[in-house]
Amino acid sequence: MSGHSNWPEWIYVAVVICLLVYVGAEAWNVERLVEHTPAEAEVIKVTGQQWFWTFEHADGTKEIGELHLKKGKPYKFDITAKDVNHAFNIHDYVILQDAIVGRINTAWFVPDKAGEYTIQCREYCGLLHYNMRGILIVEE
Amino acid sequence: MDKTIALMTVLTILIVLPTIQLVFAATDAHEYINRRVEIWNLFFKMMTIAFTVGAVVSGTLIWLVWRFRESHPNAKPTKYEGTEW
Repeated sequence: MSGHSNWPEWIYVAVVICLLVYVGAEAWNVERLVEHTPAEAEVIKVTGQQWFWTFEHADGTKEIGELHLKKGKPYKFDITAKDVNHAFNIHDYVILQDAIVGRINTAWFVPDKAGEYTIQCREYCGLLHYNMRGILIVEE
Repeated sequence: MDKTIALMTVLTILIVLPTIQLVFAATDAHEYINRRVEIWNLFFKMMTIAFTVGAVVSGTLIWLVWRFRESHPNAKPTKYEGTEW
């Protein structure tokens, strides 16, 4: 190609590469922050089964359909299922993790506001899936 | 000199300030991230980039088609089209 400048193409390529690098770095960083569970987080075993949620606190206390947590404290959920696959979702705290039979998936969060929040199954798990709900009660 | 100042300003904004922020954030004990904020922020940033890239790419294509149409006043025949225009 003579008599033809191709610097705009190179700028275009460079801008695209920069954007891709930025997108990758940003997403990687946020994923790193979100995945990094604080060491002091209290572990809560979450078990999904047709069609309710069971929660077991670190001290052995069990709750069914309700989960009482303290505001400002970090919690780590160990999520599993007993019968078919479910998905554990606390919409208001952007927690969504599959509950898989024979496998433990984790998610952590810190409730920052006292109140009641809905827990909902987000994987179609049978007839009463729509009603497989729970209540998260965050106390002061 | 002006170029150096401009370059330094750009470097400061792009690299140094975020690094300082990151370092100080790490020393803040018991400051937990807010999952909701982090995830939604990422979503909005990615949407901004996606729409910007979409606008630039489709804008470039629209301009190319408009500028290099045969009926454009400044259109010139290429060697593949012969010299009779």
